[in-house]
Amino acid sequence: MASRRGGTTTVAPTPPATGPSPAARTEAPRPPRNRLERFAPYVFVAPLLAVFAAFYLWPALVTVLSSFFRWGLLRPWTPVDPARWRFVGLDNYTTTLTDPSFWNAVLNTAVWLVVFPLLVVGFSLLVSILIWYTTRAGTVFRTVFILPMTISLAAAGIIWSFIYNADPQIGVLNAALDRLGILGADWRLGPLELHPGSWLANPGVLHLGFADVRLTNLALIVPAFWAFTGFGVITITAGLTAVPYEPVEAAKVDGANAWQTARHILVPSLRRPLVVVGVVSVIFALRTFDIVYVMTGGGPAQDTMVLALLLWQQAFAFLDTPQGGQATAIAVLMSAVLVAGSWPYLRQLLAGRSR
Amino acid sequence: MRIYAHRRLLTGLAVLASLALLAGACGGGDKGGEATPPPGEASGELRVVSNWTGSEGEAFQAVVDGFHQKNPKVTVKVEQVPFDQTQALLTQQFAAGSPPDVAVALPGIIRTFAGQDLLLNLDQQWDGWIKDGAYTDALRQIASGPDGKAYAVYFNGNVNALVWYSPQQLKELGIGVPTNWAEFTAAMDKAKAEGVAPLAVGGKDGWPLTQWTDPVILRVAGAQAFNDLARGKIGWDDPRIVKSFQVLGDLIGRYFPQQTLATGFIDATCAGAKGKALFDNQGAFLNLIIPAECDKSLKPGKDFTFFLMPRYDASMPEAQFVSGDLFVGAKDTKNKTATLALLDYLASAEAQEIWAKRGGYIAPNAKVSSDVYPDENDRKAAALWPKQAAVPAGYDLDDWIGGEIQVKYREALAQFTRDRDVDKFIATMAKVDTRSSGG
Repeated sequence: MASRRGGTTTVAPTPPATGPSPAARTEAPRPPRNRLERFAPYVFVAPLLAVFAAFYLWPALVTVLSSFFRWGLLRPWTPVDPARWRFVGLDNYTTTLTDPSFWNAVLNTAVWLVVFPLLVVGFSLLVSILIWYTTRAGTVFRTVFILPMTISLAAAGIIWSFIYNADPQIGVLNAALDRLGILGADWRLGPLELHPGSWLANPGVLHLGFADVRLTNLALIVPAFWAFTGFGVITITAGLTAVPYEPVEAAKVDGANAWQTARHILVPSLRRPLVVVGVVSVIFALRTFDIVYVMTGGGPAQDTMVLALLLWQQAFAFLDTPQGGQATAIAVLMSAVLVAGSWPYLRQLLAGRSR
Repeated sequence: MRIYAHRRLLTGLAVLASLALLAGACGGGDKGGEATPPPGEASGELRVVSNWTGSEGEAFQAVVDGFHQKNPKVTVKVEQVPFDQTQALLTQQFAAGSPPDVAVALPGIIRTFAGQDLLLNLDQQWDGWIKDGAYTDALRQIASGPDGKAYAVYFNGNVNALVWYSPQQLKELGIGVPTNWAEFTAAMDKAKAEGVAPLAVGGKDGWPLTQWTDPVILRVAGAQAFNDLARGKIGWDDPRIVKSFQVLGDLIGRYFPQQTLATGFIDATCAGAKGKALFDNQGAFLNLIIPAECDKSLKPGKDFTFFLMPRYDASMPEAQFVSGDLFVGAKDTKNKTATLALLDYLASAEAQEIWAKRGGYIAPNAKVSSDVYPDENDRKAAALWPKQAAVPAGYDLDDWIGGEIQVKYREALAQFTRDRDVDKFIATMAKVDTRSSGG
């Protein structure tokens, strides 16, 4: 018998034809385990734990510790050489939190955090449901959306740089705008300023009063979304295969149309895959680096500077004014935000495991 | 590899004085470092990091092959790294204690690495080269660390402030080659009136914008102010620097393309080469890039050539500034003998002639004859290189400064290109670069 729990399917084991019932099995006294049996699980897990400790736990710990010292990448901070330590307490954090460049990067990253997951989740859900309704060629459609996933983000950035090229003889978007006669237009719609054609330079600004949101970030989010959305489609279509058909059939019998079926049957059944896609998209958005580095390098000016790129810049470009400690302070702050943001998902995941 | 140059020399006494002071600080009689081994004595393997690809990569490999012929017991492995990733890669490798034996570098990173005692001292080599007349003291300063000692060899020279154009297009528009600032702007006004973009500027890549600021500062503020700004002796709020950016802001407003910040260096170069824009202010290296990247049928000298950007103020003395690529040796190299042999070879006329014959290259070694250059453009550009000992030479402003100031300078320049707000730009730079106030 198949049962659905939060969108995933588990198959209950079929009881053996003979032998004690499950209840009887759990109640039967276990024979005393010898020492080898008791330690065996730990022995099996130990190599993995060692790898985890060496490559995840230890670097994470060193990162946190190094954020309290002043150092540069040419002479990295090391816990085993106290003679070279220059303890600065919380200075790296206060410097970071009072730096306008940091808050500019926070604003740009916030745009990513809001727009990117919404685009990925919304579009993936729509496409997955359409594919679910498709009686033919569902695999073809899935493949079309999944294919961009096979391209590295750096390559996706280069491809889209051509699409965005300012010269209408090279950039397909500007060729279209040129045909429409709106290439280079300047529009003002209330707080929104638009410059169609200047995709990677200054496509527009949203004046919020307390801050100006540069729309260049959107021009970078689109290729990232194009390259990443296959993940959402895979995850949600997998979730849809677990939706029991009986309620769908019953809804049809009751006269529900496709929209009502999707709205009241399918979407509520997809809560867990949607959470997975949403959380992974948030993590992706927060640590975005490669596509920004390739397409704009954080510019023009600091229009597209995101936190991960700012961190890289401080660590690798500012060698004359060593800012490794500030870079790790940003990394620690980003990790804190990431853990806090992912906490509902992590809690759900851990709770699921413990059941 | 970007540079700018001025046709003649710095004649300002103050500049000479400042350079003389720097030369004194260098300690001319210092016999630091180690002597170069005799040819053929070196053996073993060398790892070299360079950032040339395509035809430039082949040219550099030919130079390396020339070294191998002279030192058959040395095997050289060349690693090509993208230009904009060189600093990050070298930093990682030097920090990890596994640096390349020899690596390409710009003055900003040379001073940073030398300050951390990571580079081989080359004072003995420079003493010999200057004595032989192959190089000048001014060039030695560019290759020196903060302690005034030499840590690099000059391998690939370049001059900037070359305004590239198509002679055919200029003729068709009835424009003569500008010889002064007024003629320069009049030519661009005429092009605008004829519906031709006056300038091609690839501002998306950041550094092409500095190709404009350097010559404008040189021409408006003068060489003394330029050198003082580079070395942190004056601030960005110096009235001469402020005036330079007012002139630049005017140029941007009147002549820069609307899509400056959306256009990359290669696209802008090809737009200029194909007649979509009248002028392209760039370095001598365009002589190689235009045929390679835009149109193989374009002939240097005939289809595209250059003039030196005219003086802004005729009473201002002309200045000559350079840029280009240098090579450093790692102090932690496991093969010091072969490393010194290669560095010495790269600085030699013999090595530099190999590339000079292929074009798109200026040999910094004064012993290289102008006859080796393959076309008129290369010969004209090479003639601008400061070969005489009396000729002071400065270096590209932001590549000289390097580090955090360089990064933030380029960011501020992009913003300035957009809003042309001189006060805002100067305020930003005064905050970023506090060297003149002891920061």
